[in-house]
Amino acid sequence: MSKRWNRLLVASLVSTISIAAFAGPAGASGESIGACVAERFEEALEHHGHSDHMTSEDIRHVAHDETVQDELEGCLEAPSPILPELNEIIWGGAAFLILFVIMVKKGFPAVKGAMDARAEKIRADLDAAEQAKTDAQAVQSDYEAQLADAKTESARIIEEARVTADQLRTDLSTQAEGSIAEMREKAAADVEAQKAQAIADLRAEVSGIALGAAERVVQSSLDADAQARLIDAYIDEVTGSND
Amino acid sequence: MNVLALDFPPITHLFEWPDILFGDTLYAVNKTVLIYLAAVVITAAIFLTAGRKKTSLVPVGVQHVAESGVNFIEESVVMETIGPEGKKYMPFLTTMFFFILFSNIFEVIPGIQFPANSRMAVPITLALIVWLIYNFVGIRSQGLGGYFKNSLFPPGVPKALYLIVTPIELVSTFVVRPFSLAIRLWANMVAGHLLLVTFAVLTAALWDATYVGAAAPFAMLVLMTGFEILVSVLQAFIFTILTAVYIGGSLHPAH
Amino acid sequence: MLNVLAETATGEMLEGLKAIGAGLGYGLAAIGPGIGIGTVVGNAISSMARQPESAGMVRTTMFLGIAFTEALALIGFVVFILLMP
Repeated sequence: MSKRWNRLLVASLVSTISIAAFAGPAGASGESIGACVAERFEEALEHHGHSDHMTSEDIRHVAHDETVQDELEGCLEAPSPILPELNEIIWGGAAFLILFVIMVKKGFPAVKGAMDARAEKIRADLDAAEQAKTDAQAVQSDYEAQLADAKTESARIIEEARVTADQLRTDLSTQAEGSIAEMREKAAADVEAQKAQAIADLRAEVSGIALGAAERVVQSSLDADAQARLIDAYIDEVTGSND
Repeated sequence: MNVLALDFPPITHLFEWPDILFGDTLYAVNKTVLIYLAAVVITAAIFLTAGRKKTSLVPVGVQHVAESGVNFIEESVVMETIGPEGKKYMPFLTTMFFFILFSNIFEVIPGIQFPANSRMAVPITLALIVWLIYNFVGIRSQGLGGYFKNSLFPPGVPKALYLIVTPIELVSTFVVRPFSLAIRLWANMVAGHLLLVTFAVLTAALWDATYVGAAAPFAMLVLMTGFEILVSVLQAFIFTILTAVYIGGSLHPAH
Repeated sequence: MLNVLAETATGEMLEGLKAIGAGLGYGLAAIGPGIGIGTVVGNAISSMARQPESAGMVRTTMFLGIAFTEALALIGFVVFILLMP
């Protein structure tokens, strides 16, 4: 805060001084040509000592004087602005040479050196970054290669497993089919055997029953009608129970 | 010069200043001299401050001004015209650029408002220094005979044409060059100063007569002030780049 | 007195003629460079538009061309300054 105030103070001081030093009337000859002519002519008249009692003859005499005419022409010929003033050449040239010496000895090498040092540092940093990038890229490609290896390996393993599984499945299915057929055959044989057994059993039963029925027929061989009825009833009973 | 009640000062009144110190001696100090000294102080201050500071990676403030100036001279002036071997002329070119720039720019600084280069002194001095340098460089790099042969008898021109070309080259290279260099800077600054004075006087006169009428010349004055800033920078640049071109021409003949 | 005034009057007239000559001279001297600078800048712009990557070189050369062309107008301006008192 105080720094800013200091700066403001310095700035206003400098501007005041500069205005005081620089502003003001421009030329030393701050007058028009006519005024210059009149003034010079008055001076010439004074010089000739005719100021008190001027006649037109005297004035003409003074006006035709060589030196006075030269002086009057001087009013018309102001120094051309294109011609350099000697004092300005001296000061300007000296100023430039002083500045040149300061710049060559001190200012330019300091600034340029700092710039070059910074450029060098940036270049070194960039080189380092480039190096790091290449390194990282190498590592990355390494990893990528490993990853690709791993991928092919896993694909190979999966393929192998798939082939094995296929093999296993076909094996198992043929095996299962074989055992199913075997079991079916066995079941069919069992069924056949049981059927034959059942038929044999039935036959033995039926013959037993028939014997029993014959016995009963023999026991009550009273009349043929009753016998026939009994046999029918028995057969009905048997078929009903044996159905 | 009273035109339409305008009190326009004669041209000499706009460019000649009364002596402040050591009046009527060879070392008389006037406003122009003070501006030259101010240009020296400002340039030296910028470069010494920028160089002395612990340089930061990102240049700011004064350091930025100095570095972009040096960079500009290197990239746009030296490398474009001379090439890498022109680097050793960079201190000279940089000094010249900043000295001319700050002498010019006082044209628009309020309270001073005078381009020091609208006096012929520094332009002609610098132009003569440049003339010495490019002739010296040419003689050193090509030898005395070679330099004059290459500048007066440019190769690739039919023999008969040398009757015309050689006098033209003699005048243009050894006589006209320094003066055109000086006059270009001087006349641009004089013209700019006259332009600003014209519109300022017009504005003042119209303000006295009709308050509203002053608006148009005042707007023009503001516009021209901006334009003169551009011209100040551009003339410093052109003076510097022409110097570089002349030095480059002496280093590499037949261009 | 009248004689002196008459002499100054011819002087003033000479001044007026000088001023007219100076103004005309500068105006005439500005025509050619005006056209020339227009040509230089126009061609520089079209080449910059065609090849934006070489804009820096073109700009430098353009300023050189302007500087050389402008010198003619400035010589006219110098004559103007020399003729004006």
